[in-house]
Amino acid sequence: MKKQTYIYSVFERFWHWSQALLIFFLMLTGFEVHSSFELFGFESSVEWHNTAGWAFLVLIIFAIFWHFTTGEWKQYIPTLELVKAQINYYIFGIFKGAPHPTHKTRHTKFNPLQRLIYLGLKLLVIPIQVVTGFIYLSYMHPEHSVGAGNIEFIAILHTIGAFALIAFVIAHVYLTTTGEKVFMSIKAMLTGWEVVDVDEKEEYITNMKQAVEHSTAGYYRLDNEGILTQVNKAWLEIYGFNKKEDVVGNHYSATRDEKQVKVLKSIVDRVLEGEKIIGQHVVRKNKDGSIGQHILSANPIVENGKTVGLEGFILDITDMGKDSQHMYSAIRNSSAGYYRINAKGYFEEVNEAWLKIYKCDDKSNVINQHYSITRNPENAKELDAVVEKVLNGGSIASKLAIRKCKDGTVGKHILSANPVYKKDKIVGMEGFIIDVTLEEEKSI
Amino acid sequence: MLNTTKSRKAFFKTLVTFTLILFPWFFAIIYLNYVEDDTKPKQLMLKHYKVDRRKLVDHTKFEILQQDFETAHDVTEACLSCHNKTAEEFMTSNHWNWSKTDSVNGEPITIGKENVPNNYCIGIKSNEKLCSHCHAGYGWADNDFDFKAEKSVDCLVCHDNTGRYKKPGPGKGNVGAGYPDHKIDLRFIASHVGATSKKTCGYCHFYGGGGNNVKHGDLEAALLSKKDCTKEVDVHMNHEGKNMDCSECHTTSHHEISGNMYTLSTSPENATTCVQCHTDSPHKSKLLNTHFNTIACQTCHIPEYAKVNPTRVWWDWSTSGKHKDGKPYNAEDIERNDSTFQYHAKHGDLIAIKNATPDYIWFNGHADIHLFGDKFEGDTLVMNKLEGSFEDHINPAHPEHPSKIYPVKIMRGKQPYDTEHRMLLQPNTFGPKGSGAYWADFDLDKAFENGMKARNLPYSGKYDFVYTESYWPLNHMVSPSDKALSCKECHSRDGRLSKLSGFYIPGRDNNNLVDTIGILLIISALIGVVIHATIRIISKRN
Repeated sequence: MKKQTYIYSVFERFWHWSQALLIFFLMLTGFEVHSSFELFGFESSVEWHNTAGWAFLVLIIFAIFWHFTTGEWKQYIPTLELVKAQINYYIFGIFKGAPHPTHKTRHTKFNPLQRLIYLGLKLLVIPIQVVTGFIYLSYMHPEHSVGAGNIEFIAILHTIGAFALIAFVIAHVYLTTTGEKVFMSIKAMLTGWEVVDVDEKEEYITNMKQAVEHSTAGYYRLDNEGILTQVNKAWLEIYGFNKKEDVVGNHYSATRDEKQVKVLKSIVDRVLEGEKIIGQHVVRKNKDGSIGQHILSANPIVENGKTVGLEGFILDITDMGKDSQHMYSAIRNSSAGYYRINAKGYFEEVNEAWLKIYKCDDKSNVINQHYSITRNPENAKELDAVVEKVLNGGSIASKLAIRKCKDGTVGKHILSANPVYKKDKIVGMEGFIIDVTLEEEKSI
Repeated sequence: MLNTTKSRKAFFKTLVTFTLILFPWFFAIIYLNYVEDDTKPKQLMLKHYKVDRRKLVDHTKFEILQQDFETAHDVTEACLSCHNKTAEEFMTSNHWNWSKTDSVNGEPITIGKENVPNNYCIGIKSNEKLCSHCHAGYGWADNDFDFKAEKSVDCLVCHDNTGRYKKPGPGKGNVGAGYPDHKIDLRFIASHVGATSKKTCGYCHFYGGGGNNVKHGDLEAALLSKKDCTKEVDVHMNHEGKNMDCSECHTTSHHEISGNMYTLSTSPENATTCVQCHTDSPHKSKLLNTHFNTIACQTCHIPEYAKVNPTRVWWDWSTSGKHKDGKPYNAEDIERNDSTFQYHAKHGDLIAIKNATPDYIWFNGHADIHLFGDKFEGDTLVMNKLEGSFEDHINPAHPEHPSKIYPVKIMRGKQPYDTEHRMLLQPNTFGPKGSGAYWADFDLDKAFENGMKARNLPYSGKYDFVYTESYWPLNHMVSPSDKALSCKECHSRDGRLSKLSGFYIPGRDNNNLVDTIGILLIISALIGVVIHATIRIISKRN
């Protein structure tokens, strides 16, 4: 799957373009000192070449630091795999319109050929230029022993490095045009964003994480002692809290009346024993002591074969009293389904529970389909209104909706919907649904 | 709508990134070009430079000087009546002895005009009557001169403040041998004495080799002229500027004057240097100051010599002695551009040049000087081999003897030597007709016999001429800073230092193989890109 991805961080771009500028400038001043042409004047060129040399050294130190702290150095680990394929592509495939033999992703920004060349630059050419450059610079200070002797060898080595860099720059600039579009790579290096392959599993985790973060469905997580370890914003809103810190670390019993604690305790105990609660109507105690109602889903968190806690979603139904009957049904029937659609209304992601609710076997039947397939014509307008509202920045905390399942049957669910932001632009909508179809309706 | 916001945002972010990249550069450019300039000192950094031109004594008030002196010796006696230890002091100096003890590799050596040949008039022995008109003494006519006679010291030649004192050679009623012109008013001169000046020093030092500027090329009478000595000619001694006197740099203590000429010195003992006033980092630019380790100040700051009057660079004794119609033949001078070609029967072929570009050598302050009586081999004789090399500069074993690149005038010529003894010959050039002196009788054989006898050296009677060179480091007639050499004068393929080899100068040197391969690499990369792009475009169309 290809996706617009942020692959070059601000520092990486700053480093790249500063380096480009410095190399270009060092080339101009350096070859003037080499008497290849006249441009700034010999003295200015020497002064500027020396200054730029120091600037380059500072930049390199920052870049080395950046490479190691971000782990980006791993991008340059050389591999001989597919090098041949990459060379073949540049020599033959590119003319026939063959696909690129390797795929760019956030974690493999460079093809095997790039890895080899860039690593060669980083470990050979640039170190040679820096080391010879600074020995060269010390030449006029014979009191420092590095400068002793004839610099002919050092100077010639520096010249060889310079020629190698120019040849690299020519090839490098040209090869930026061999992407899918001519200026795509350069644009990416300027803005940081490029359409690249993405890892679906990783995408899913990130999306879920984001969804939980931004969702209007409340998310919570308990450890096996019953202590709240995580809640999201929506959960805090539902319970009327301002800060996570007020809740996290407390026992779940703090969220219930004396009577209701027992109910919740039985749920927690069941889940910790491995059961999944797919929808239960519960009564909570808000921060201000008032009472509210919500539907809760809960499932165990299993790590290394051991149950270490539980997590789930809650959807507030306090103001949906007349529908409480439906909510009640949800106890047995529903589990939170997750969906995500893009700004044009096409499905990007749904989870297993969603598929189950819609009686759908395979994700591929849904992904890239328009949301309208999930509604009968008479119910379509409602969803249109929801989508429009959310794409314009609104959010829906819980709304009863009538869906059209894959097999043509209809069902009821409560849906939450909130916009998906990328940077500050709305690129889609996502949310959770909890099935509330009554047994009797189902059987009809 | 969303897209425009996004692209505007992206554009803004890119702009910020690039501003971040470019800002330090703009800042640096502005700082270097504008801000730093203002903070640069407008004045030259000088240390230890102070001049006191006050006259401390009025010699006209001394009675002993108000007398009609019969001889020059009487003047000296009058001087010594007050300065009663000064003759003793002066008689240890080079200006009296024309000989001093110097060292070669730590070994003492006695050298001076007395025993050093040059490739101009060759040597003083047997010619003292003429040569000693530049001796600060009276009566040096031959080997019998008494160097212990205090009354023979010539105080006036250095301390005359009237400009009227003259010491002509023999003839026209004068006896020569360093005695003053018989017509001058010794009373007036003796009562107008004082510190030395450009004029008194120049009386001898401008006229070495037999005429103005003949010898040095950077010391000449033009320095005394308001009209000729502009700032461009000499930044120190020009009349609009500091109008410095010689002794301001050639500091003197007890008649011991600092300064060396490497035709008569073998070591840098007692040298006069630029550093004594200008320090070893005189430039605003650090880059220029780093050149101090390898380049002598003179190299950049004396871009040319013989700026006003020509200096002699060629003297071929082998062609001398031509006669025409029974008379010594003197050809008319031929001037071509800045060169003057001359022929005098007394001298031979001569060439003098003006506005000359110096030659450049590595030099460490030590010289190996050829003396009369030294034997030599080969067909070229360097009379004062200036020591030094690039390796010497980098040799950590001799940090106190670093070589630097110096500018020199090279004097070339052909001069006589004894083919049997392989020694340079001392001709007796000056003397009356019939004495055997060359300039009177034009008999080389007789001239050599007389000259070598005066030197107590053997002469086989067989002679020939050998090609000789002498090196004259250029130290005077320093140009103003805006006329100093620019970088490119040396840092270019065929610059001024193109003849010095064995070391790498950026901009001068390159490795042709590397450059050729490098350029081919760039060209083939460009061609490769063009071909690849062309095929891509064509195949895309198809």
